[in-house]
Amino acid sequence: MEELIKRYEYEIIANDFDIAGSTSSSIKRNLKSIGVDPSIVRKVAIVSYEAEINIIIHSKGGKMCLEIYKDKLTIRAHDNGPGISNIDLAMSEGFSTATNEAREFGFGAGMGLPNMKKYSDNFNITSSSEGTNIDIDIYMD
Amino acid sequence: MERAFYLDKNKCEGCTNCMRKCPTEAIRIVNEKAVINNDKCIHCGECIRVCPYNAYNSVTDKIDDINKNKFSIAIPSTAVYGQFHIGTEICNIHKALLSMGFDYVYDESWGADLVSQAVRNRVKEIKDNRPVINSNCPAVLRLIKVKYPSLMENIIQLQSPMEISAILARKKAKEIFGKNDEDVEVFYISPCPAKSIRVYSPIVLGPSKIDKVISLKEIYGDLIREMKMHHEICYSNPSIKGLKWSLSGGQCEAAELEHSIAVSGIENVLNILEEIEMGKLNHIDFVELMSCNESCVGGPFNFENPFVAKNNINYIIKNTDNSNILIDDIDRFEEFDKLGYFEQKINLGFKNAQALNIKAGIERLEKVNQMVKILPKIDCGSCGSPTCRALAEDIVDGINTIESCVILKLKK
Ligand SMILES: Nc1ncnc2c1ncn2[C@@H]1O[C@H](COP(=O)(O)OP(=O)(O)OP(=O)(O)O)[C@@H](O)[C@H]1O
Ligand code: SF4
Ligand code: SF4
Ligand SMILES: [Mg+2]
Repeated sequence: MEELIKRYEYEIIANDFDIAGSTSSSIKRNLKSIGVDPSIVRKVAIVSYEAEINIIIHSKGGKMCLEIYKDKLTIRAHDNGPGISNIDLAMSEGFSTATNEAREFGFGAGMGLPNMKKYSDNFNITSSSEGTNIDIDIYMD
Repeated sequence: MERAFYLDKNKCEGCTNCMRKCPTEAIRIVNEKAVINNDKCIHCGECIRVCPYNAYNSVTDKIDDINKNKFSIAIPSTAVYGQFHIGTEICNIHKALLSMGFDYVYDESWGADLVSQAVRNRVKEIKDNRPVINSNCPAVLRLIKVKYPSLMENIIQLQSPMEISAILARKKAKEIFGKNDEDVEVFYISPCPAKSIRVYSPIVLGPSKIDKVISLKEIYGDLIREMKMHHEICYSNPSIKGLKWSLSGGQCEAAELEHSIAVSGIENVLNILEEIEMGKLNHIDFVELMSCNESCVGGPFNFENPFVAKNNINYIIKNTDNSNILIDDIDRFEEFDKLGYFEQKINLGFKNAQALNIKAGIERLEKVNQMVKILPKIDCGSCGSPTCRALAEDIVDGINTIESCVILKLKK
């Protein structure tokens, strides 16, 4: 196991559209101020934004973590259900069960999970009715 | 030149207005005077606009800087055409410039017209890094470099209308007047400090084809005088497409791009760049980002307010007929494109401001966050730093002290 340098944790509240994106914004701001390479920051920004929004619009709420290691960043998005019944289907481009309300806010293109996978170096997703866990690594070299 | 404007210390009262308005937190108040950090300044001119004491002045070339031994060309920004009373003919503005000592005037709207076509083609060719960002507002380019470096790759690698106009004006000097490049000097009449700094110290784009930059404010009085003295009927021949480039949305319109958005005003630009960085605008093909309200008609060195200038330009557009345009350059797009005239490399090399290692960076951030907790968080600016958070950073970086906080002192 690599040495963990720092861990940040954020609470994400379901259906709170007012502050949707604020967690990924502060993750982005922190990484910039720490001095992480801009292209890495951008990947993390995209990945954490999609993960945050998914927790807000599809789940009962949960939390996100940013872990900083010597040469990688790990983003963990863990929520409290209801889970994804068919992960392969959810991962396919264009698949979405977003509500009309969420669509009015511009979400629901079904591109969130595919994009998260695209911008990460390791992408791991597990899901049950207890909750969905996504763990993502982005390397810093 | 490190900066295209300066602060008159005698006029500065240390009022903190500019410091609080600066989008990159480049200003501090030290010993009751504003001090600008050149590494952070993007030349947006917000400080110039907001200063109640008019303490900021442009560093500009002057009419006297015309070299009599050279063939001198003036290229007025298209925004200049909106600075005179409604109905003023562009040809009269050009004539006034000629009588002030220039040998030739090139109309930037033609350059802009040609760039529109290049933008359209290029955006269609580019497959990734959406949305593509315009390259003609030097303040926005610097903003991206200092605050959103990961978006450098989205900037379109094309010349601006100003640069294309300089290239074509030099070509004209050769073709019509037989002047060699080294015997020609090109002046740009600029609405902003950003254009000067693009010419004098390009950090994002390659070297400029403009030699000297005169701020519009500098020659406005002389221009008005000349125009009154030599007013006569003449024929103007601008490009409608090109004129639109001085107005917000004009580039999108001229390039006829379907999924494009236009954003003007530095605060709006900051917000949209945040969103682009999160990948929220990947479905948009092109964004036109301009630092000034309403685009270049809102430039800080203009005379008219942006909205009046916009109406003036729209009036010219309405009264211009391009059906029998007499500009040969406009028909030579393919030829210029093949010659590579529109190509402009972007200097991608982004260096981290402090090149900290991650551990030291985290330690610094922790200290800053601790310090923010102690400070009153009312962002009054009396300490000389723009926000409590900025003061916290300045304390940690050793350029200010906690004793500067007036509120904490009062509480004691
Ligand atoms: N945390 C989650 N909990 C429950 N279901 C989820 C969760 N995340 C994704 N899903 C399901 O997977 C589908 C696809 O997710 P994805 O993020 O790819 O698209 P989207 O959120 O619907 O639209 P977009 O992200 O493009 O706005 C969602 O519509 C939803 O049904
Ligand atoms: S020009 Fe803009 S960036 Fe530079 S100091 Fe003034 S407000 Fe700040
Ligand atoms: S919008 Fe135009 S006038 Fe304003 S800074 Fe940019 S280029 Fe200059
Ligand atoms: Mg999603």
